[in-house]
Amino acid sequence: MGTISRRNLLRSAALLGVSTVLGNGLQSVAHADKPITFSGWVFKPDTVKDYVNFYNQKFGGQVQYEPLTWVQYHPTMETRALGGDLVDVMYCVHNNRQRWYENGLIRALDDLPGADELKRKMTPANLESLKSKDGTKLLGLPYFTSLFTLIYNEPMLQQAGIPAPAKSWDELLEHCTKLKKDKLSDTPYLPNWSHGPSETMPQFMSDCFSEGAQVFDAQNRVIVDQEPGAARAMERWQKMYKAGLVNPEVLTKTSSTDVHRLFWTGRYAYHTNHSYYLKTIAAEPQNSRLAPRKAKLAMYPGTGTTYMWTDSYVVNAKTKALEDAWKLTRFLGGNLNGDWYVQRQWCLIAGLDNPYPEMYDHQDIIQSYDRWVDLKLLREQYKKGKVIAAYKEPWYAEYDTKALAVVHDIIRGGATVPRGLKQLTSLQKSLL
Amino acid sequence: MIRGIRLSEGRFALLLVLPAFLGVLVVVLFPLLYSLWLSFTDVNVLRTSGPAIELFGVRVPLFRWVGLQNYIDVFADPLYWSSLVRTLYFVGAFVVEATLGGLGMALILSERFAGRPLMRSLLLIPWSLSRAVVGLLWIGILDFEFGAFNGLLYNLKVVDSPIAFFSDGFSALNVLVSVYAWNQAPFAALLFLAGIQAISVDLYSAAAVDGAGYWQRLRHLILPALRPTLFLVLVMATVNGFLMLDLIYVLTMGGPGHATKTMAWLGFETAFVFFKFGPGTAILYTLTAICLVLTVIYHRVIMARFEPTG
Repeated sequence: MGTISRRNLLRSAALLGVSTVLGNGLQSVAHADKPITFSGWVFKPDTVKDYVNFYNQKFGGQVQYEPLTWVQYHPTMETRALGGDLVDVMYCVHNNRQRWYENGLIRALDDLPGADELKRKMTPANLESLKSKDGTKLLGLPYFTSLFTLIYNEPMLQQAGIPAPAKSWDELLEHCTKLKKDKLSDTPYLPNWSHGPSETMPQFMSDCFSEGAQVFDAQNRVIVDQEPGAARAMERWQKMYKAGLVNPEVLTKTSSTDVHRLFWTGRYAYHTNHSYYLKTIAAEPQNSRLAPRKAKLAMYPGTGTTYMWTDSYVVNAKTKALEDAWKLTRFLGGNLNGDWYVQRQWCLIAGLDNPYPEMYDHQDIIQSYDRWVDLKLLREQYKKGKVIAAYKEPWYAEYDTKALAVVHDIIRGGATVPRGLKQLTSLQKSLL
Repeated sequence: MIRGIRLSEGRFALLLVLPAFLGVLVVVLFPLLYSLWLSFTDVNVLRTSGPAIELFGVRVPLFRWVGLQNYIDVFADPLYWSSLVRTLYFVGAFVVEATLGGLGMALILSERFAGRPLMRSLLLIPWSLSRAVVGLLWIGILDFEFGAFNGLLYNLKVVDSPIAFFSDGFSALNVLVSVYAWNQAPFAALLFLAGIQAISVDLYSAAAVDGAGYWQRLRHLILPALRPTLFLVLVMATVNGFLMLDLIYVLTMGGPGHATKTMAWLGFETAFVFFKFGPGTAILYTLTAICLVLTVIYHRVIMARFEPTG
């Protein structure tokens, strides 16, 4: 082995430097003009990395992907924008979109090529959800859509001699009472009453809608104190909690994910939660005792109407590479590749739905869903999905968080139903 | 070698301290003053137009000055006062549990017994765990559905059905206190142990000659000598108690209802969930003021009559 002289070392370093510069230079010929950045909250980041790599290879993109923790995602994006950091394409939850748009962080997409075609392909309710408060601008393309669903534990119902899942809330209450009395389950009903923006309050709205009640009027004012259906829903919740039909610690679970995992144990009969959770419950035998397909979807009781929302990909208003950013956004939330690549990936891998009905005619999607859900019934349930416009209001995030405490108080009997519902109305007024 | 520059001792000392002082200025004092400023302004981090100062090439927006309005709004909110009461209870209970627990452990570990070195090492494990891990660990122990403690009680036929430790607000708050004390008491124990070991052997010998028993030694020798340590432990436990956030995040998210919502959580929620950074920082500055007042009180009460033993 020879010695390393200073001359050799410098020569090698110079060669390495030149080759690196040349390498990058040559590489950039095949790539897009400008690198673009893409940020999202952490959910299956390896899947995201895979399709970003696919995009970079197939479309010559230079996308740099950065996942951020879910909890701090939106504040982080805002403070980074404050510091002058520019992220070209971002995830954005439905109740932050309008705020980001009004404050100039993101741009409307209507004027970009192909946007009109995508709008035509979306279901009208989801399209409405993705629009600005005044309904004139499209603010994002869909990451996924979901809604509240009713899931039931078929073997447990069979064991109790219950031939079919409940079609009404009264029937569900009756089933749960029987299951507890027969000692088949300590707490047969598992609602999503946990803490967080996509939990207790969307569950509250779903149950109000299913009772035929409105939560907000056309001007987005809270009107639950005038709605008998809302009172019925709350009285039922109080009754179920008091009768010990619900796991009392669900009120301090920190997320929907934590709640749905409880259903894996097979110790509950009914569960209400986001639609995509049925996939892990019914199709992951390594996690869930109710897989394969022992847990099933039933139409939401009552009117069947439940709360639906659409989370999105948005484009930074200050992007310096609009063409590339829009191309990536169409790849993510549209159909750039002609095969709905990313939308399809999410359906197959995580059961995340999207608002493009034609997706559900694809044979691979049908076969994949068939492993964990009755797709026809799920599509029927989506027809009953209801979107609200109130989340586009500036007070919504604060209302949503503070209202949760009021609803928890009603559930635990700390407030009567009429008083609690009045508190919700006055809470919203206080934030205007 | 520099010739001809003669500095006084004071100036030379200042020169040596200057780099550290500049570091503190940039990483401590500036954020502190800037956040204090934010508590008097209407902050919208997405609206970056308007007056700003430029520091090292970074634009720092000054936002719209609203005077005391954020503080007025915060004090008018009943949730602030209920959170304050809850925080005072939490901090009081936590300080008592952590201090007494720590002192008890230190007294035991200062005695000679087989396995003492191992016990001293094991003592630090709860303190060295990240709070997220501590939270998850205690969920595993106390959970209604799958908690080990509930399973044990059920198998021993002590209970007919599992205990829901987090269903009642007061119970959930007390669980938080105990879990945090479990996490923090070892550090207090470490400080107390160091304090006990610093007591001169001669004083123990003198006490033995005077015929003092264990309790007399504890009362008249050990506890008075531990006063500076006690001051430190109380200040640290109080500040840590007021600022505790992560365990609430993992264990209860402030629920059920508002039942475990402390001021730190309220400030965090106001700033980072409602994006109201002005009122959020105002809430957290009232917390800072309370901590400062309590530190002064501790100092007056504990250190007033303290005379170094050495």
